[in-house]
Amino acid sequence: MKHEHMHDKVGEEDLSMEEKEIRGWKNKLVWSWILVIPIVILMVAERIFMFEIFDMKTSIIIILALGFPIIFILGYGTMKSGFRGFTSLYFNMDSLIALGTFVAYLTGFFALFDLVQDYSGVASMIMAIFITGKYIESKARGRASQEIKKLLELGAKSARVLRNGKEIELPIAEIKIGDVMIVKPGEKIPTDGVVVKGESAVDESMVTGESLPTDKGVKSLVIGATINQDGILYIKATKVGNDTFLAHIIELVEEAQGTKVPIQRLADKITGVFVPIILVIALLSFFNWFMFTGDLSRSIGVAVAVLVIACPCALGLATPIALMVGSGIGAKNGILIRKGEAIQTMKEIKIIAFDKTGTITEGKPKVTEVYSKVGEKYLLEVAASLEKLSEHPIAKTIVNYANLKTYKKVTAFKILRGRGLEGKIGSKQILIGNRTLFNERKISLKGFEAKIIDFENSGNTTMIVSENKKILGAIAVADSPKPDSMAALQMLHKQGYKTVMITGDNERTAKAIAASVGISEVIANVLPEEKANKVEELQKEGMVAFVGDGINDAPALKQANVGIAMGSGTDIAIEAGDIVLAKSSLTGVVQAINLSKATFSKIKQNLFWAFAYNVLAIPAAIAGVLHPIIAEIAMAASSITVVSNANLLRRRKI
Amino acid sequence: MKKFKLLIEGMHCASCANNVERSVGKVSGVKSTSVNILTRKGIIEAEDSVKADDIKNAVAKTGYKVVSLSEE
Repeated sequence: MKHEHMHDKVGEEDLSMEEKEIRGWKNKLVWSWILVIPIVILMVAERIFMFEIFDMKTSIIIILALGFPIIFILGYGTMKSGFRGFTSLYFNMDSLIALGTFVAYLTGFFALFDLVQDYSGVASMIMAIFITGKYIESKARGRASQEIKKLLELGAKSARVLRNGKEIELPIAEIKIGDVMIVKPGEKIPTDGVVVKGESAVDESMVTGESLPTDKGVKSLVIGATINQDGILYIKATKVGNDTFLAHIIELVEEAQGTKVPIQRLADKITGVFVPIILVIALLSFFNWFMFTGDLSRSIGVAVAVLVIACPCALGLATPIALMVGSGIGAKNGILIRKGEAIQTMKEIKIIAFDKTGTITEGKPKVTEVYSKVGEKYLLEVAASLEKLSEHPIAKTIVNYANLKTYKKVTAFKILRGRGLEGKIGSKQILIGNRTLFNERKISLKGFEAKIIDFENSGNTTMIVSENKKILGAIAVADSPKPDSMAALQMLHKQGYKTVMITGDNERTAKAIAASVGISEVIANVLPEEKANKVEELQKEGMVAFVGDGINDAPALKQANVGIAMGSGTDIAIEAGDIVLAKSSLTGVVQAINLSKATFSKIKQNLFWAFAYNVLAIPAAIAGVLHPIIAEIAMAASSITVVSNANLLRRRKI
Repeated sequence: MKKFKLLIEGMHCASCANNVERSVGKVSGVKSTSVNILTRKGIIEAEDSVKADDIKNAVAKTGYKVVSLSEE
């Protein structure tokens, strides 16, 4: 990776650029109104109340003199960028305003010789209104990105670290991986790390949106920018700078805000050709009016009105501004929208498929019962000796439960993916696993069947253990549903979604868990690599969203129309899924769906208004029923409306 | 394939962003361009043969300036 500038600098430049822009427009706004108010007074007095302050020529000269700095000094940027369009043929919004005000301003000179009506005052007012509109719009845009700004400001500025046994305070940029940081109660954790000493609760709400503090002890992972609540923590830094969780989130959200939502394609196409088309229409309107009325002044007025009323901005801003506000609100709540497309697809989703372990359930299995005819001790000894060699969560649970001092030596150990384990202890062939495994090996469960069914019916995953093809017993392991799973699923059902649970567990266990949270459809006995296929099958019935952890379920997340990856804190695989939840709860899924729908409906509203505005306003200007000043006010209002409407998204409860 | 990330100065309306997309899109080897008027950022996917200067020139042609650029 080659960088001409450091990435974190991009963020800062970006911010100050925006602030510079707002400040710039504000200055221009003040000056333009100081200059334009005398023009307005003069015009109103002389042309509406017919109250002559100066003779006509003098007043035109005064208006031209006051107008010059408005249009050519305050409006320099707009004029320059607008007229450049005529040479480069890359026209933009400014081209319309520049041409409109320039033509109108010129009429002032011709009016001195009584050739046409004087529009130079109108030109100044158009520019002043344009500048005002830009100022209001830039302020509203600033509001639209406030959530991201808050994320950027979240990072700690300094940290207290232990170096050579001494506590020293260092700026955050000087923290290196491996430094041990000391974080007192109420302080921000400077960067991502692992707790090496101490115990405390940490408020992670700013990153995960989860309001309850998380307990942390030795070996717990902590996220930079979260706040230590009540104990002193000694934390070894594991990630710094642009590698931190927060930095990743910011980058991801910013990138997502730059992605396109399919619905905006038409608007983009129109904005691309909009300005040249309006230029042609303005020209045609001018000739038409002149041909039919012979009134040069009127024809110029109409052409100027057409030029300044047309607003590609409202069209072009409609989608990105809503996406920006929506993804900002999401980020605040631990919902990261990675692709703009997802919020549009979400509307079409009919089926939501869930992975079981870690998604619906806690993902922390516990041994609930051991059943054996040879004695529990022997069974656990054999089982734990094999399970010790596996990384699977259930294996760890059994090992912990058995709590052996010494393990038996296992040879010919093999992991049977999705089924269990096999190995040899001495000359005895040991098999641990699920029903599928024992069916495959044609080992009879006689004498244990009833107990196993009993385990399964109460939602336990059952690990059956055999020695030389003879069953020793079974270990029941249960993984309880997360506290909010049931409520969240109920909300999804209320919204009319069909929910499906996909799991590697056997039918009975899966059904018991599913029933306990209210899911009616279960696809059980699915090997990890088959999950994507099952999603594909579900897609025959309608669009499918899949919710799972980003690590094991990556293919299924990809296969689904919308993949929602879930994880808590630093555990999440941020690259998987179209939407990533930084909190590990199904309530997050409901929120993500609500947010997507709300954002998409804002986009539709915005596009509707922007289209409607142009479709109504341009013909009205052509028809000559709009004075250029009214046209300019309408134009400024249209883009402000679109931005403000997007900001209203914040009021929606998700 | 590589990805350019740009920060562009001077764009202030949606048609500006559109102009940049159009101009950069014409550079041979550029696969996709996405320029966001709000973040002022552009993401460009292009073949490895495309140089940073090609992109910068294409942006300059439309009258805007690349403030920073990174490739990955």
